[in-house]
Amino acid sequence: MQQFQSKRGAGLGLKRELIPQIQAQFGKKEIAAIDFLEVAPENWIGAGGKAAKQLAWFTERYPIVCHGLSLSLGGPDPLNIPFLHQVKHFLDAHQIPLYTEHLSYCAAGGYLYDLLPIPFTEEAVHHLATRIKQTQDILERRIAVENASYYAAAPISEMDELSFIKAVLEEADCDWHLDVNNVYVNSVNFGFDAKAFLQNAADAGLGGRIVYGHTAGHYEEAPDLLIDTHGATVIEPVWDLLSDVYHLFGKFPTLLERDTNIPPLLDLMPEVEHIAMLQNSK
Amino acid sequence: MTALKDYLMAFTRHIRDPQNASPPEGVSERGMAVYTEIVFNNIDSSVSACFPVLKKVLGEDIWLGLVREFFIQQPCATPIFREIPEAFLAYINRVSGLPPYVQNLAHYEWVELYLAYADETIDWSQIDTEAYLLDYPVAFVPAMTLLSYDYPVHQISPENIPASPLETPVSLLVFRDADDEVKFVELNQMTAALIEDLQDVQLSARQALIGIASAMAFDDVDAIVDFGFELLRDLKSQGAILGVLNTNHD
Repeated sequence: MQQFQSKRGAGLGLKRELIPQIQAQFGKKEIAAIDFLEVAPENWIGAGGKAAKQLAWFTERYPIVCHGLSLSLGGPDPLNIPFLHQVKHFLDAHQIPLYTEHLSYCAAGGYLYDLLPIPFTEEAVHHLATRIKQTQDILERRIAVENASYYAAAPISEMDELSFIKAVLEEADCDWHLDVNNVYVNSVNFGFDAKAFLQNAADAGLGGRIVYGHTAGHYEEAPDLLIDTHGATVIEPVWDLLSDVYHLFGKFPTLLERDTNIPPLLDLMPEVEHIAMLQNSK
Repeated sequence: MTALKDYLMAFTRHIRDPQNASPPEGVSERGMAVYTEIVFNNIDSSVSACFPVLKKVLGEDIWLGLVREFFIQQPCATPIFREIPEAFLAYINRVSGLPPYVQNLAHYEWVELYLAYADETIDWSQIDTEAYLLDYPVAFVPAMTLLSYDYPVHQISPENIPASPLETPVSLLVFRDADDEVKFVELNQMTAALIEDLQDVQLSARQALIGIASAMAFDDVDAIVDFGFELLRDLKSQGAILGVLNTNHD
């Protein structure tokens, strides 16, 4: 675990398609740039059989980060306390220090299994902060929350996205999981300057809260509508943003997300190596 | 309800049922359409992956209608993605108007996923893999289920849709073997009854077989024991039986 708690590292999401490939290449220089792996606890909690054996294989060999999808921190349904206890047990059993979730929701009258946008209102700030604090209490650790991508602005919003993120992070006193692709996607979808957004985040003193990062590719449905599919190669402007981010905030462990349209492992490695290269450059 | 909850509930009601529930006022139509599409596609692909035969025999239109109704009608209580098909199965079991074989077929397709991930571990310290199978309680694999269906679920395809239930239900033993492969074995009624009795861990296989012979008022006990022994050997070679339970018999 000490390896992960260092200030850097390039990671890759542990997708089922990639498991046998990583096992086959383990220890070889072709995948040496992978410092850690990330799992969604929702895919592994309570899973026996082959899945349990695979997870054990990876936890013995790599630092693991948990990135949750189903907690629905911003949602109207009650926080799922039994599930949080399962997450706690999972983190403890596999000695996983970091758990991150999203500034979004996925349950409203039952689960919808996707990340849905929270209006940027005072009420939402308090609602999220309360539930993040409750989560941190149950998990007995700080968590980090990720800035989410979205496609439909809420007419009831009362502030801009950065003010909202800042208010939640400070009221909840939690860490920030910075997703640079999401900043880019939102900047295109809602017409703001991504670089200015990050500079403002630095000016607002949020740098100290960043513990973890994501980068990914997306799909361009229209010039002014990007969909955060994690199904394509990271584009150059997003790499530029990641480089800016490291200059503004310092280095932090960063993961390449690839969830759809997954190519062979070795075709993903140049992007993992790109993260490592940015972390190692001055 | 608060303004936030009002908004989130209206937003998600529209995602679930875009035909009948209006989106919150003032939300961009294009942005809303992204959500209605990706959320439904996500649910559909999760359910489709578990029920490929059911989807094929019902056809695309009926299938999509069924998934949509499921999404509207059945609130999913599980945060675990692989449990979505189980919620769909529960929906299938309470909805009316589907062909009569659908519930059996859906269960049969779901049970493979269920056993593949069942949180069961083989405790080898309790199992003797070499001992004579008749003298001790039998050690089955822990992830195993004995099923009986009114329709020939394992033979259904678009070209082979059952018109009526079977005269004798079909029995299937479904289990995850020591190499984590899920296997299906078709059984006759007699064998299914035997396996049910052999799962009693208090009895040696021979005792269970003698009990069965007596319950059937069958005089030739040796024939039943011989039959049972062949069955045990066969199930062991197929991976459903690992050996006998280790009861300090050395």
